Amino acid sequence: MRNNRIRLLTVLAVLILSFWIILKVDNLLLSLVLAFVIYYLLSPLVSYLERKGLSRAISTTVLYGLTLTLMTGLVVWLFPVISNQVNALKLELPRYIEGISALVFSTESRVNEFLNSVYTIDISQELRAKMFSWASVLFEGLPGFAQNFLSVTVLAPFFAFFMLLDGRQASRNLLALVPNNFFEMALHLLHQLGEQMGHFIRARLLEALIVGLVVWGGLALIDFRFAALFALFAALTNLIPYVGPLIGAVPAVALAVLNGSSSVDLFFLLLVYGVAQLVDIVFIIPLVVAKIVNLHPVTVVIVIIIGAQLMGVLGMIISIPVASALKLVLSSIFTHVIDFRR
Amino acid sequence: MVSALWENIFRRNSTDVVRGTLSRNLLFRELSRGELRFVMDIVHVREYRPGEKVFSQGEVGVGMYIIVKGAVDILVEDLSSPHDGRKKDIHIARLSKDDFFGELSLIEDNGRRNASAVAHEDTQLIGFFKPDLMEILERNPHIGAKVVYRLAEVLGQRLIKTTENIAELRKEIQKLTEKGETV
Repeated sequence: MRNNRIRLLTVLAVLILSFWIILKVDNLLLSLVLAFVIYYLLSPLVSYLERKGLSRAISTTVLYGLTLTLMTGLVVWLFPVISNQVNALKLELPRYIEGISALVFSTESRVNEFLNSVYTIDISQELRAKMFSWASVLFEGLPGFAQNFLSVTVLAPFFAFFMLLDGRQASRNLLALVPNNFFEMALHLLHQLGEQMGHFIRARLLEALIVGLVVWGGLALIDFRFAALFALFAALTNLIPYVGPLIGAVPAVALAVLNGSSSVDLFFLLLVYGVAQLVDIVFIIPLVVAKIVNLHPVTVVIVIIIGAQLMGVLGMIISIPVASALKLVLSSIFTHVIDFRR
Repeated sequence: MVSALWENIFRRNSTDVVRGTLSRNLLFRELSRGELRFVMDIVHVREYRPGEKVFSQGEVGVGMYIIVKGAVDILVEDLSSPHDGRKKDIHIARLSKDDFFGELSLIEDNGRRNASAVAHEDTQLIGFFKPDLMEILERNPHIGAKVVYRLAEVLGQRLIKTTENIAELRKEIQKLTEKGETV
């Protein structure tokens, strides 16, 4: 029917235009991803307050007030610790770079000695210059990063507030445009996607939080420097599947090697990261994460590579939920449209 | 301004009609005005043209429909029709204002529709689906419990009726068998 075709085209046009705007406008994608994270974290609590008899508007506002107060308190408490550790790291970084260069130089000399002038390797000087330039780019880029981060931290809670308040109405308005012959499928799909994303985001954040806390506690216990900074880094990189935990351990291990830590200290350091991963693999993943995203490990690796190629670190983090959402959309279309015609 | 006023009056009338239909329905009959308003923000009002399919037999069903205005034909595929690609449908019933259908899908997991529903004339339906029922249960379990209790009652009545029909059919079959044996 003509009417249905016009409706379908309108819905597709709205979706394509929205995606285009999200990808084109600076910081919008990251702000929306964060907004969804906030939405899915707070949504069960808003529903809980509604069950207690408060209206949705009051539930959302009260919860937002409480969360903002809590977050401000957390930032006020955590920011000086992280900031001091970043400053200390900034001051000590040249020493570490010299250390890495010396390590590479000594290895290079030994290899050249072994090769006995057949082939001469000379990378230490180049590497030293490169590392100094990376370090200066990293720290000079920090204010710009902070500025972007600030705009995202303002936009994301703003979006999330209206998602919590009017999100259901907005999705109902979009559903109203869907043609009758696709309506049930679209409604069911939207519900399933919401459920899956909600479970996934809550599970991954819980996982990152537990890993971060275990690393922080462990590093503090063995009296390792920059414990809070490395724990934060481990928690964030843990969001990247498979390679994340390894990346998370690299800076602390590198620091220990450069400081010439004893093998016993190095063992305890590796033990801390090992225990964090053990807790993650044995308890959190089987109990919380595994049942949510039903993707084959090979598919997971492929989508992470694609995500990294397209959007870097953010792409690696969001690749799994995007892939599982795509799988759900395709299987839903298959079940509703193709399978029943057989 | 005048057209906006008319539009507003028209919308209010249409909302009243939808509220009236919901308040007469077995599932929502016990709800107060405030509770009905809550449900009205969750359900979906859809318009269908004559001959337009509401759903097809074999499709995954997600929920039920209540007729606000118009009429809906319920059809099932004729299994005895020749396999030449052109399937024939048997007309089972014509439902009209305030009737409802498809309620089994509210509790089935990926259950398929066992009949097709086609709009007989210009028809307005209220769609009430599984995600909507979940939302009510999550946000206001008090209303959810009332609706689920009524839903269980409706399904129980349907089950009793089906059992009675089966018993009658068995009797008919027995009679026919006895007749056959006598002949």
